Amino acid sequence: MTTVTMPAPAGFRRVPRLRLEHVIMAGAVVALVILVVLPLLFLLVGSVRGERGVSFEHFSEVLSGRLYTSALWNSLILGAWTGLFSLVIGLLLAWAVSRTDVPGKPLIRVTATLSYLSPPFLTAIAFVYLFSPNAGIINVILRDVAGLPWLTFNIFSMTGLVLVTVMHTFPFVFLLASSALQSVDASYEEAAQILGAGKLRTAASITLPLVAPAVLSGTLLAFVNAIALFGSQAIIGLPGRVVTLPTRIYALFDYPPEYGLASALSLVFVIITVAALYLQRAFLARRSYVTLAGKGARPQLMALGALRWVVFGFAVLVFIVSIVAPYSTLLAVSFSKSWGLEFWKNLTLANYKFILFEYNVTQRAILNSLMLAIVAASIAVLLGAVIGWIELRTRAPGRKLLDYASLVPLGLPGIVMAVALIQFWLAMPLALYGTLAILLLAYVGRYIPLGVRSANASLRQVDPSLEESAQILGASWTTTMREVTLPLIRPGLFAGWLLVFVPVIQELSASILLFSSSSITLAVAVFNLYETGYTEPVAALAMVNMVIIGVAIWLAYRVGGGGISGAGGREGTA
Amino acid sequence: MAGISIKNLSKHFSSRDADVAAVSDLDLDIKDNQFVTLLGPSGCGKTTTLRLIAGYIRPDRGTIHVGNRLVSSPDMVVPPDARHMGMVFQNYAVWPHKTVFENVVFGLKVRKTPAAAARKKVEETLALVNLTGLGERYPSELSGGQQQRVALARSLVVEPEILLLDEPLSNLDAKLRERMRTELKVLQRRTGITFVYVTHDQSEALALSDMVAVIHGGKLQQYGTPFEVYAKPANRIVADFMGLVNLLPGTVITTQDGVATVQAAAWRLELPAPAGARAGDAVEVAIRPENIRLAAANGQAGLIAAKISERTFLGSISEYLAELESGPVLRVQTHPLQRFAVGDRVAVEVDASQCSVFRRDPEKTSSADGASR
Repeated sequence: MTTVTMPAPAGFRRVPRLRLEHVIMAGAVVALVILVVLPLLFLLVGSVRGERGVSFEHFSEVLSGRLYTSALWNSLILGAWTGLFSLVIGLLLAWAVSRTDVPGKPLIRVTATLSYLSPPFLTAIAFVYLFSPNAGIINVILRDVAGLPWLTFNIFSMTGLVLVTVMHTFPFVFLLASSALQSVDASYEEAAQILGAGKLRTAASITLPLVAPAVLSGTLLAFVNAIALFGSQAIIGLPGRVVTLPTRIYALFDYPPEYGLASALSLVFVIITVAALYLQRAFLARRSYVTLAGKGARPQLMALGALRWVVFGFAVLVFIVSIVAPYSTLLAVSFSKSWGLEFWKNLTLANYKFILFEYNVTQRAILNSLMLAIVAASIAVLLGAVIGWIELRTRAPGRKLLDYASLVPLGLPGIVMAVALIQFWLAMPLALYGTLAILLLAYVGRYIPLGVRSANASLRQVDPSLEESAQILGASWTTTMREVTLPLIRPGLFAGWLLVFVPVIQELSASILLFSSSSITLAVAVFNLYETGYTEPVAALAMVNMVIIGVAIWLAYRVGGGGISGAGGREGTA
Repeated sequence: MAGISIKNLSKHFSSRDADVAAVSDLDLDIKDNQFVTLLGPSGCGKTTTLRLIAGYIRPDRGTIHVGNRLVSSPDMVVPPDARHMGMVFQNYAVWPHKTVFENVVFGLKVRKTPAAAARKKVEETLALVNLTGLGERYPSELSGGQQQRVALARSLVVEPEILLLDEPLSNLDAKLRERMRTELKVLQRRTGITFVYVTHDQSEALALSDMVAVIHGGKLQQYGTPFEVYAKPANRIVADFMGLVNLLPGTVITTQDGVATVQAAAWRLELPAPAGARAGDAVEVAIRPENIRLAAANGQAGLIAAKISERTFLGSISEYLAELESGPVLRVQTHPLQRFAVGDRVAVEVDASQCSVFRRDPEKTSSADGASR
């Protein structure tokens, strides 16, 4: 080899072949393999393992049995309706916010953000309290007080399921569409207008085609997310006999568990999700020309006249249905002794006392979830940073593959992730099933794409020359990371941490198959209490869940924001 | 101190759709204490060469020695952090989260210089680049020119043997660029550090360098003093890149003792023969606009006549397009006091000693002919 036989010349450090960075990077790769690649392989193997060797009996059962095809069909219907309504609501609100003079824009933005962050199964529970056919309070009022029984609404139906799901998914369209609409440089539209195109024509022939990829991509994301939500589909769908893929897979784990069928059905599920996500990425890739627009982008606002109050009214309606109604319901239920028409006569703190101080299951659940969310978010972000760095800064062979592997979990509904982990860890000599560790693996694996993406996005903001200039001044990799890279991407990493923390603290789809009584989590506790009929304590526990999310967002905002405004703030004082 | 010796250096990049040779078979000998410029259009491989010297990338072939130590070969690359070089990046790469002082002191900290000595050294260096008193500022509070100086100070404070500069002035406005140019030159003289400077701006290269390496298409076209590359370009590419040039198609009539007699337009010129040129070869004669003289035509014999077809007043000079009777149009620069009007008939005179002659690429001949008619 060329590693010299002469003594290293004065002034040059001998460079060891194996440096710390290689160890760290190899560690990240191994972690990704254990978290994602191996469980998926075992899922695949499990789905084709028959009594004797390879067999496709599970697939043929899954694709022909009425139980399974109806679940598949229901999932697709749910996804299609949800996608459609998300598109309509999201695009309308996005257009109103970014292109018109509609009043109350902050309200619209807050509505979208809160709807996105709200745990969908909590919204579902709240709507059950309002619209369950017999006891739902609004139905009771309509039927017994107002005497209008024909106005009652049965939430336990496909319609109800779509309603509850859309509230969580329309922000996908809203966020992507409004950012696209805002980044279309006004000069594109002005150029069309100066050539004689009217407002409508400009909107149809210039603006819409420019933002269409983003809007379609948001719709597909709404579809993918809608069909993966176990919680609302179990809470709303099962009583209404609307069985979907996640709930069908869940049912396969009733004793005796049907691992093979569950694996096959999971794979079918994955294929749908992955196909949708593939389309979504293809659409999104086409919008690159929009993001090119520079600082000059200052979209014109359309004067809506009287119509703006109609649009505003619609926004308020969305706000009431998706935020005010579920939250105030949960709040009211949590303080009432017994939920019903006259709940306000007996307000009490007993429900909070019960879940926080008396019932050890909920206590344990809260602690478990807090711990899991903190650890999972930290691991996902650090792992994401290393993987992002490998992809962007090295020429390591297979780095693209690594990046793809880290995005795979995006196509895995939570319940599928759980099935894969069960298949994998049941085959390992390590008894992880039912421990906190397997939940941690599930969370990190599920949300590693969020960590990778946020690290990736922040790393792209850091020009490689900032690292290279540290390197040529003699700094080692570790020094460069510590002194230059990490401080610069810190705000992005905090944002990523939050992005992982929030869904983990409310995770239900994977946890529901992986928990045990000792490793119960917050969302599972809510679900179990709900199923056993503890109406009021459920609401109190839901409020605790919301408070934790709120505090996390506030904290991350304070700490993470400090990273950027710290540098900016010093400008003012200097 | 250290010179740099580059032998047979090649590097290609493969992207999804193409395999691009960024640098091929580059030989370059940079002497100690010199100010050397790598000059070429964007994408010519000059920045790749610089990054190969810095050790950020590994060559496919060839070697780089610093002094007599091998630092880069296909099997072994001394990493940048062990090379004792400095580098100034096009975007300055001043760390936004560190103050000016923290930026500059970084290299000393890595070298574990005691705090007191480091502070003194930083202050000296900041004074050297005229930034005294700005140590506590953040980069966002500095102008582009000041950030540039921070980048310079950060590289200089560790006393590198070699300083690499990647288009350091390209983001500054014209006036500031002029001033930084002078300062860089003075700095190089004063410190005696070998400067390797990458630019696409030929006037910058001519003004700053001891030696200029003209690079095009990943290949070294010419390596010489600024005067040599400007006045005696080695080939058409160099002639074209180093400023305005007229290229007249011509034919070799005879060659003798290294002197070729070339017929170009109506001129018969005696020029140093290009290697291997024979009678009948198609050639191009390169003449810079400032080396052509115009005079009012008064019917003298022996002078070539032309008609002024375009006049541009540029302040310190005037530029004319003179259409020769045989067809070709020449760009001519004159003193602004010498004035002609569009349509004037003039006599055109060229100085053979200021012309260069290149053989024409056989496959390009036809199109070049077509263009000149």
